[in-house]
Amino acid sequence: MALKYWWLLPLGLAVLAAAGAWLWRRRDAVQEHSPVAHAERLTELPAYRQAVAAHRKRLACTLAAFAVLAVSLLVAAARPVSESSSIPEQLNRDIMLCLDVSGSMLETDEAIVGVFSQLVGNFKGERIGMTIFDSSAVMVFPLTDDYEFVEAELATATQALSSDAGTFDYLAGTYEAAGSSLIGDGLANCVNGFPAAGKAAGETERSRSIIFATDNMLAGRPLFTLEQATGLAKTAKARVYAFNPNDYGPTGSGANESGSSGSDPGSGSLGSIASDSGGYGPSGSGAVPLFGDAAAGLQKTAVATGGAYYALESEEAVPSIVEKVQATEASLLLGAPQKTVVDHPGAALGVAGLALLGLALVAAAARRGRP
Amino acid sequence: MASLLTAVQKKMHIFAHRKARGLLEGEYASIFRGRGLDFEDLRDYVPGDEVRDIDWKATARTGKPLVKRYVATRRQQLLFVADTGRNMAALAQGGELKKDLAVMAMGVLGVLAVGHGDSVSLVHGDGDGTDALPAGGTEHHVEMLLRRMDAAGLDHGPSDLAAQLEYVAAHYRQRMLLVIIADGVAADQRLAKVLRRLRAQHEILWVDIADADLAGPDAVQGTGLDVAGMEPVLLFLAQDPGLARSYAEAMAERARGLSELLAAHGIATASIASSSEAVARIFALLERHRRGR
Repeated sequence: MALKYWWLLPLGLAVLAAAGAWLWRRRDAVQEHSPVAHAERLTELPAYRQAVAAHRKRLACTLAAFAVLAVSLLVAAARPVSESSSIPEQLNRDIMLCLDVSGSMLETDEAIVGVFSQLVGNFKGERIGMTIFDSSAVMVFPLTDDYEFVEAELATATQALSSDAGTFDYLAGTYEAAGSSLIGDGLANCVNGFPAAGKAAGETERSRSIIFATDNMLAGRPLFTLEQATGLAKTAKARVYAFNPNDYGPTGSGANESGSSGSDPGSGSLGSIASDSGGYGPSGSGAVPLFGDAAAGLQKTAVATGGAYYALESEEAVPSIVEKVQATEASLLLGAPQKTVVDHPGAALGVAGLALLGLALVAAAARRGRP
Repeated sequence: MASLLTAVQKKMHIFAHRKARGLLEGEYASIFRGRGLDFEDLRDYVPGDEVRDIDWKATARTGKPLVKRYVATRRQQLLFVADTGRNMAALAQGGELKKDLAVMAMGVLGVLAVGHGDSVSLVHGDGDGTDALPAGGTEHHVEMLLRRMDAAGLDHGPSDLAAQLEYVAAHYRQRMLLVIIADGVAADQRLAKVLRRLRAQHEILWVDIADADLAGPDAVQGTGLDVAGMEPVLLFLAQDPGLARSYAEAMAERARGLSELLAAHGIATASIASSSEAVARIFALLERHRRGR
């Protein structure tokens, strides 16, 4: 609780004190009173003394009530407020978990889902959704801020993606099309998971980020190339944070995160990756440079959308990297923290009301006392 | 210079036209009717006697100053004894300042005295001290006395009429006509004593300047200033009927006490509440005094 215009208090008190001093001095300037002689013949009457005592009491009550009224009104005028600073943009985030569930990615997925199932407990206002894909994409749950539900879903997903899971029922629907890791389609599906994703940018106020876990080991012919999906993501203003567990190559940025410098992706090379990688199997048996090319394509996607690219050396690194993503998001979205000011005039005005009531009572008593 | 005396004389003219012309003067002169004007002897000079009354030949013969008694008795001396303390700067019953009424009363009597060839003098003061003005027989002198009376203000000391009377008792040997300009003083031992003393020597007229009511329907409104202690008096509290009743009782008791005291000494009194009735009241006072003897 603080006073927004705290200076009103000393100012008002000073004005009150000045007015009081002026009145007091004016009381001393008795020349305005009518001079009367032999007043002791009145003032020594017991009835007069009683009347004066009653008058004094009334005056004291009036003065006290007035002082309380003035101070409480001053306090109310000084606006007692409680301030809290919040970063509303961060709470306006939409997070889409976009997980490649091809065989090579399951452990990474489990780690990511595990991290988010812990993070979701701290969410306030963020919406989170989850899409898994392999050759075709399945939305596990749409964007929602029903965290209870999300937590349950993420727990289920952790269970199903773990190596202990006996069945692949959870992944049903992700291999409806030919091929594997059709990441272009997957990313496009994830982007479409945002509401009104197709509309022009700027219509939505919520920031969007996609946690995109894939090794970019494309097998098959996707409907969307990674380049086209990147375009969709850019149109939807979704930032892509790419997690690649299979980046061993020297052509990528190694195990380091690449800065989101916003450079344009080389559309030509992306295209070539998409077409070249068609011939490789999903099990990741290709040569190291090809992994590197795949990583480069992913990195370009991430950079082009304003996100970041992370090469995972192990699943243990996932929590720290997710934390880093959250921090990056926070610093990107933080902007100026917004101050929320809530007025609390109730108590001060209540006291003022009581003081007014007291004044009215004193006035009524005075009227009754003096017919 | 706006003269206080002129204002008094205007009022007297109005009054004189209403009554028979010359009546006022006659009333004044008759106060001393019956004095043996031809009686003549000499007596020792005392301070306060007029220097022109000294019989220089007799003084030279005897070696001590003697005054001619017959001249002194023929030429009466009128002595105003007035309170010029703060009480006189207070409100009178009619809403005017009491000192204005005192000026009116003194003016009327002073004009009559001077017109009759008598001299007038003044003893005035407050609780802080007493001042005496010498006798004089001119209108200019009367005007000077009136100005003294008019000067009474809130910056003066508290009122003490008995002190002025005691001064007169101590300092004047000559038989004089005392006109005591009083306000609603209460009768007490001190006043009784000094009045008894003065009555033995002088003719006394008592002019009472009525105080403003402090309680009751005709009371002063709002807040008053008690001139004695210079403190505010919450007169608006005195609207209470019970309080007004007990105040009226107290005032009536005081007035009864004073009038009993004055009546016991055969002193005629007049109470003046406003300047419009001042001349009539003075006339009535003179008449009362003449009949009372």
